[in-house]
Amino acid sequence: MKKKQVWITLGLMCLILTMCIAIQIRTIGSTNSTVSQTLTDDSLRDEVLMWKERYDNALEELENSEKELTQIREEATQDNSDYISKEEQIRENNMLLGLTDVTGSGIIITLRDNSNVTADSLSALDSIDYYLVHDMDLRTIVNELKNAGAEAISINDQRIVQTTSITCEGVIIQVNGETVGSPFTIKAIGSTELLYGSLTRPGGYIEALENTGVIVEVKKADKIDINKFSGVINAQYMKTVQ
Amino acid sequence: MIFIAIIVGCILGAIIGGVAPIIPYSYSGYLAIAIIAALDSVFGGMVATIKKNFDIMVFVSGFFGNAILSILLTYLGQKLNVDIYLATIFVFVSRMFNNLAMLRRYYLEKITNRKAKKTQNT
Repeated sequence: MKKKQVWITLGLMCLILTMCIAIQIRTIGSTNSTVSQTLTDDSLRDEVLMWKERYDNALEELENSEKELTQIREEATQDNSDYISKEEQIRENNMLLGLTDVTGSGIIITLRDNSNVTADSLSALDSIDYYLVHDMDLRTIVNELKNAGAEAISINDQRIVQTTSITCEGVIIQVNGETVGSPFTIKAIGSTELLYGSLTRPGGYIEALENTGVIVEVKKADKIDINKFSGVINAQYMKTVQ
Repeated sequence: MIFIAIIVGCILGAIIGGVAPIIPYSYSGYLAIAIIAALDSVFGGMVATIKKNFDIMVFVSGFFGNAILSILLTYLGQKLNVDIYLATIFVFVSRMFNNLAMLRRYYLEKITNRKAKKTQNT
């Protein structure tokens, strides 16, 4: 009796083992292409990470050199009033271009996708589109802010400069080629009253957005810090006219 | 008789494995580790048989215990981003080689003994 038990156990174990081996061989055989694919995927991912690291390093280096440059410039212009005015000009131009961190009074607009709405709670005539923030909304608000005299604008810490594009990339929005998502915080420096009044005017775009269902919040603020533009502005083709 | 049970088990297992649904690719690593652990147990059992201290309970518990433990270690390694499965494979395969070497020596001795006896007899 005991021997029989031993045989049965041994037979069962062999059964399990060979079954596992057969399944494994078939799995590997059927996903042979996947193996190579994941391998290339892995190497590609590694490469992306490597480049990203390099990019970050380069960016850090750039920032350091910029700091050094300003320091050297300051040192060089210390004794010469002519140079000092030039230096100030450069600083002001950089500020206008969005290449320096700026601070000042203005308004903060927060746009949020309406999360209270589900596909079930929508009526047939309604669309979920009305409850989401789109790239068009951001563009319109930036446009209105500029129209109202905003001097510096940023969306989720992406500074709006001359080369900025606000585009829809499927489920996300890209500003300056960087991904931003809800909630969108739009900071604008300018005349607080003017910006606030013109943005929240009856029949304005903010009101229209609120009516369609997007959650909008407009706040006045005495001190707003707006980061500088982190990218590079190239002038490859244009030249100044002599 | 014992070989009949083993052979029948192997054939049945191969047939069932041939028709069973394949597992997702991401789990095949775990199954591979389990197979290595089980194979190690089998070789250990063979060595135990020739040493005459084979115990079916030890064998069965080693077979399943090692497989499960190695799967758990592999899973833990993946969570910690350490390739623990390499260590598992190293241990099991080195043990397999040890056991195989023992088997080889045992059978070589047997054969040489038999030959020596034959020459003595003639």
